[in-house]
Amino acid sequence: MPTFLQACGHGTQQRVVTGAPAGANVFAEWFGIGQEDVKAGLAALTRHGADQAELYFQHRRTSSIVFQDGIVARASTNIDQGVGLRCVVGDQTGYAFTEELTRDAMEAAAHTAASIARGSAVVAPEELRRQELAGQHYRVEVPWRDVGIDRKLPILRRAAAMARRRDPAISKVELWWNDVDERVMIADMHGRLVLDERPMARLYVNVTAEKDGQRNSNTANIAARRGIEWIGDEELEQVTRQAVERTMVLFEAGRPPAGEMPVVLASGPSGILLHEAIGHGMEADFNRKGTSIYAEMIGEKVAEDFVTIVDDGTLAHERGALNVDDEGNPGQRTVLGEGGQLRSYMHDAISARHYGVAPTGSGRRQSFRHVVMPRMRCTFMEDGPHSREEIIAAVGNGILAETFTNGQVQIGAGDYTFYIKNGWLIEGGRLTRPIKDINIIGNGPETLRRITMAADDGRLDTGGWTCGKNGQTVPVSQGIPTVLVSQLTVGGENA
Amino acid sequence: MPEGLEDLRARAAEAVELATRAGAQDAWGTASKERSVEVEYRDDILEKVQESTTRGLSLRLWVDGRYSTHRTTDLRPASLRSFIPEAVALTRALEEDRFRHITPPELYAERPTDALDLVSGAVQRVTPEQRIDWCQEMVEAARAHERIISATVGVSTREGMFAAASSNGFSGDRESTSVWCGGEVTLRGEGERRPEGYHWAGSTHLEEVPGRAAIGARALAQAARRLGSTKGPTARTTMVVEPRAAGHLLRRLIGPANAGSFSQERSFFLGKLGEAVASDELTLIDDPLMARGFASRHFDGEGIRSRRLPLVEAGVLRNIYVDTYHGRKIDMAPTTGSRSNLSVPGGTKDLAELLADAERGILVTSWLGGNADTTTGDFSFGLRGHLIENGEAGAPVGEMNVTGNLLTLFSQLVAVGNDPWPYSTVRAPTLVFEDVQFSGAAA
Repeated sequence: MPTFLQACGHGTQQRVVTGAPAGANVFAEWFGIGQEDVKAGLAALTRHGADQAELYFQHRRTSSIVFQDGIVARASTNIDQGVGLRCVVGDQTGYAFTEELTRDAMEAAAHTAASIARGSAVVAPEELRRQELAGQHYRVEVPWRDVGIDRKLPILRRAAAMARRRDPAISKVELWWNDVDERVMIADMHGRLVLDERPMARLYVNVTAEKDGQRNSNTANIAARRGIEWIGDEELEQVTRQAVERTMVLFEAGRPPAGEMPVVLASGPSGILLHEAIGHGMEADFNRKGTSIYAEMIGEKVAEDFVTIVDDGTLAHERGALNVDDEGNPGQRTVLGEGGQLRSYMHDAISARHYGVAPTGSGRRQSFRHVVMPRMRCTFMEDGPHSREEIIAAVGNGILAETFTNGQVQIGAGDYTFYIKNGWLIEGGRLTRPIKDINIIGNGPETLRRITMAADDGRLDTGGWTCGKNGQTVPVSQGIPTVLVSQLTVGGENA
Repeated sequence: MPEGLEDLRARAAEAVELATRAGAQDAWGTASKERSVEVEYRDDILEKVQESTTRGLSLRLWVDGRYSTHRTTDLRPASLRSFIPEAVALTRALEEDRFRHITPPELYAERPTDALDLVSGAVQRVTPEQRIDWCQEMVEAARAHERIISATVGVSTREGMFAAASSNGFSGDRESTSVWCGGEVTLRGEGERRPEGYHWAGSTHLEEVPGRAAIGARALAQAARRLGSTKGPTARTTMVVEPRAAGHLLRRLIGPANAGSFSQERSFFLGKLGEAVASDELTLIDDPLMARGFASRHFDGEGIRSRRLPLVEAGVLRNIYVDTYHGRKIDMAPTTGSRSNLSVPGGTKDLAELLADAERGILVTSWLGGNADTTTGDFSFGLRGHLIENGEAGAPVGEMNVTGNLLTLFSQLVAVGNDPWPYSTVRAPTLVFEDVQFSGAAA
């Protein structure tokens, strides 16, 4: 028989929780249920004991528009609501969810999730007490649910016209619009009740141009946890200019030579390097299981003194910002590495208990259908002592990477990749011609050792990123100053 | 009584009724339900048990020449009574689109009746004890190595069903099951490195899934073959791609073969129908009528009746995926709007024989990142694999890329295998390409 851990001792005592009484309204207003229903769900969920147990209620309304050939080709709304019930005993998780927000459905799901445990019942909380948010990082003037499509269409028409105006070679402009209202309510076995409203918006600009019988296309996007007041002409000019410039330069672009060479990463979007080369490897679940190349490296000096890497959920309106994580812990700033030394993993409650440390507010899930894992939020590197010009001049022959489409990492081997859509060839310390469509591959710890220069021009990418892990996606942000990696393998072509 | 197909049919029809009553000229409703159970074992601990049923209703609306789509999981009658009229009202606020029409009945008439055999009673009857036994069998085989750090294995099963109905007389439904068994293994390698490998086997039917110990052993073998991996060379040479990895290249090739990409001029196939787009070794068939296939179907998402669709025949592009909307935009008759199962006929040799023929080059066993431009076909992918030495898989290599253009690459296809990967909708065999650019260690 399998080893079921007994739920007893630590963590099962009723913890004293402070906060205002929840009041009846929020349950009814947000989810059409009563406090008694939630308490009944918690009691069923902890009937065989638990180290940790919670109900995660979510209501998400998404509105999407595809704008093609000057008109709306498709408009969609999607309403997704339900509750995920989790019972944790040691490293073991029982999980179930239901879209039916009734006491019967919740109790049935709770029984399924509770089957992982084999102990005696935990005393359910007498009252749920609402916790105030430690910070509010994405307040909006008008929630997206109150913004009609009549206010979004003029934005799309304006963006399409701006893109077309930029160059006569533009033959197609396609826009993808997405706005999301999300309400989350977390009720845990200790009686803690946490609520968060999470807005999100994104505009994707896809451009195709035709010149001398050749076609090229490219994209740019802007994304943030913001409301409609955010999208002004300045934002539209920026994203359409990026899309058109990134497309037109492709007509002149070629491939660099194949093989190992110095790679300069331009500020902003190049934060993808941190996400792949170190970020995933510092998620504590992989380390708890011993499957990450960083599993035994905390406290070690792994990079130059000027390398400080942070994962932060508190940056206002960032796509990766979180007032609270999906276990109800406050969003916060986690220093992964400082002064070149590895400091802290990103933790959810399971890994935090495993390591005997406080959770870092990194417990995230795609939706109520998914279990929590430690995930990145907004990952960036602090400024270094050099300037961008110095760095480019210091490179004999190599490349400068500017825009990216995607990346991936193998946690154990440490090998990671990212795909450069636009960049420049560096010859004799100068940018000489544009390059395109090359994959870069390196090894995480090796790359950290090879970050030999970093500039003072750090910024966050204005485009949005989505991170995938074990089949779950979550929104993230990233940023970096201009940095030099002295040697990486570049997927070029040799004549 | 648990909800069955009858209930879903009624829900879909009722949604269409509510929509037309609210003023939609046409409506298409789809009601779905899925039950899934997942069990995950790490080393000797049952780490996760997840069990759930999900239900949803989606609706496509045509209102005064305008079109929109909607989906909800809030199926309470009162919620639907406000959700559907609101959806109709939202559609009215859009612009008229002369290319949007509900699927004409002649496209969904005379559906095929081939037995698809998509439901396995054995999958429906899997017990909690079986799941745990299977996990233990897999994990035991997966841990049988002196360098083992950790093995995580899992069993997941799924039963799904949906019913669709339209205001112009369509009705259809489908029921299917699937089961997946497999896992991931991490070993202690050289220095800091912890090489990993995985293997998953799945099917609509339980008896198509190999023995659990064999699956665990295969996951372990995938990790063990990475031990001692070094950085591959920078070279132009032959590339042999294992069936498990070959599907990725075929997906990239076929990705822009659709009317949407044609209409937005983001396809390297634009203007190439009837022309050679690959060497004559390549034939690609979209096969929705494959028995027990993951994506088998009698009709597609728009209700269009299914048929075997040759995409590429002996290297010549014959068809692309054409939905009704983008088909009208670019004046092409609809075929089907989306991919089903993809098969590659014509191979006569397996991987071992093709390696022997190649003598030297690079064997690709898996990809790591990379991308391809759908407009130009330019691509660059990270990869792992082995040097081919004396016609066999030799030393493991990694941390290298392959770069080129998809149309050029497929014109250099010199052989396809007879060994399709069974655990995917893309039944890709071994593929052999000549003169491919790899980038790795400095020469």
